[in-house]
Amino acid sequence: MTAGADRAPALRRAATHAAIFLSLIAAWEVGAQAGWLDPLFFPAPSAILASFWRIYVVQMNIWPHLGVSLGLVFAGFAIGSILGVGLGAVVGLNALVRRFLQPYVIVMEATPRIAVAPLIIAAVGFGAQSKIAIIMLVCFFAPFINTLSGVVNVNEDRLQLFRSMGASKWQILRKLVLPDAVPVIMAGERLALTAALSGVLVAEFIQRDQGIGALILTYTRNLNMPSAFACIFTLTAIGFAIFKGMEILDRRVAFWTNEEGLRRVGLARAAAHATLAGGRHG
Amino acid sequence: MTRTAETLRTANAPAPIISARDVGKIFGGGSVVALQGASFDVAQGSFVSLVGPSGCGKSTLLRLIAGLIERTSGSLSVHGRDITGPHTDVGLMFQKATLLDWRTALENVLLPTEIARTPTAEDKRRAFDLLKMVGLGDFAFSFPSQLSGGMQQRVALARLLQTGADVLLLDEPFGALDEFTRERLNVELMRIVAEVRATTVFVTHNIVEAIFLADQVVVMSPRPGRISAIIDVPFERPRTLSLQTSVEFNRIVEEVRTTLGEH
Repeated sequence: MTAGADRAPALRRAATHAAIFLSLIAAWEVGAQAGWLDPLFFPAPSAILASFWRIYVVQMNIWPHLGVSLGLVFAGFAIGSILGVGLGAVVGLNALVRRFLQPYVIVMEATPRIAVAPLIIAAVGFGAQSKIAIIMLVCFFAPFINTLSGVVNVNEDRLQLFRSMGASKWQILRKLVLPDAVPVIMAGERLALTAALSGVLVAEFIQRDQGIGALILTYTRNLNMPSAFACIFTLTAIGFAIFKGMEILDRRVAFWTNEEGLRRVGLARAAAHATLAGGRHG
Repeated sequence: MTRTAETLRTANAPAPIISARDVGKIFGGGSVVALQGASFDVAQGSFVSLVGPSGCGKSTLLRLIAGLIERTSGSLSVHGRDITGPHTDVGLMFQKATLLDWRTALENVLLPTEIARTPTAEDKRRAFDLLKMVGLGDFAFSFPSQLSGGMQQRVALARLLQTGADVLLLDEPFGALDEFTRERLNVELMRIVAEVRATTVFVTHNIVEAIFLADQVVVMSPRPGRISAIIDVPFERPRTLSLQTSVEFNRIVEEVRTTLGEH
């Protein structure tokens, strides 16, 4: 009943959004057709749409670039974030290491990672390795810092409780510290994957041999703005998909941070112990 | 009614479960005397309340018994064993339930067993029975965030009992709950500790609660933290809330108040 009552305003809201969006697009189209908008900055929406059709369906030339870029994003993200979580845990759990490393971490955090990109290319050389290295670098810090703070900020009462139960250091880590840090680690991963998308573009702007970044550069240099816009909107879609995907993953992994997750896992746990609960009535 | 620490032993009790002699704790390299010269015995199966204002060292004393902090002087033993660090002879409960958010009530209760060994079906059955004992049989598969504050403390109590420790150390366990819930849980706590025949040390700053639950009330004073009196509470068990309105009960409340006021 509540769902039915909610649906009408939700529909109306969606309709309003659609109307505003379509009006904006229509105004843009009219403006571009009439010559009021500089086609170099604002190519007509119809021209952008035609470019989408051309680069995806007719020429199909965007696909290999897209594949290369996404491959780099996930490779760099995987390596960078695993290193970040791993080192964050090691540093966070070792008070001595943490004390000596702290100043360096602060200095490195204050340095824009992108600035180091040309140096990485100089050191590693052109090619996929240096691109992955750049993405690793931009992906490393959020998981590193979040994991570090996640394992450091353990509730003192919980710790004392585990100690009084005779828990070993390993048990405290596995049953208390790590699960407790999961939500904040996941938040770090979300930031990292978003950063990876920017990282791959920077890497491809510097080494413009292939990838979606290189393609944008090529189109822009040829003043093919509708196709450049088609590439940019493709990135918008990818960015949005990454955001949504990570949100869903986050809610599933750190299930105890949301109502729906609690309900789902609670039901699963109850089903797994059906005999126990059933015994109550028998 | 006020007696010296050394004679605090019920007539028929054998060796005390907890024995403290001149226990002291100094924090911060000598700057803060948290506890000084604390001596008392806790007999098998008895319920002792530690009552006093903030800074009287009652929580410090509890953590010393648990071995979570080290004493700086005196001798302290549980079951005749000298306390040198955290030990599993005692079970702990705090003002906050300190449950693990990612575990169901049942899994939280099972935690002490999991730390000791791989839980068997029998262990799970026992954890479930304990949840029923604290009135949460229907909430075994709920997560802490789905439970009220009072229910969370019940889970913490079930977890405490699951440790199998026969000495329970409770640090203002219901202090964060509303008055009604607290009274109800106090009555249940008395029933449960009697049922499992546990020896209990209960820290509180609520005088009425301290007396209502206890066989002995250890009255403590601050600066430096120390024991100022140990008062017997002779009422029969089981007790009901109406006891709190009796003349004799209020005479003991007055006695505790006077002792606290002297310092």
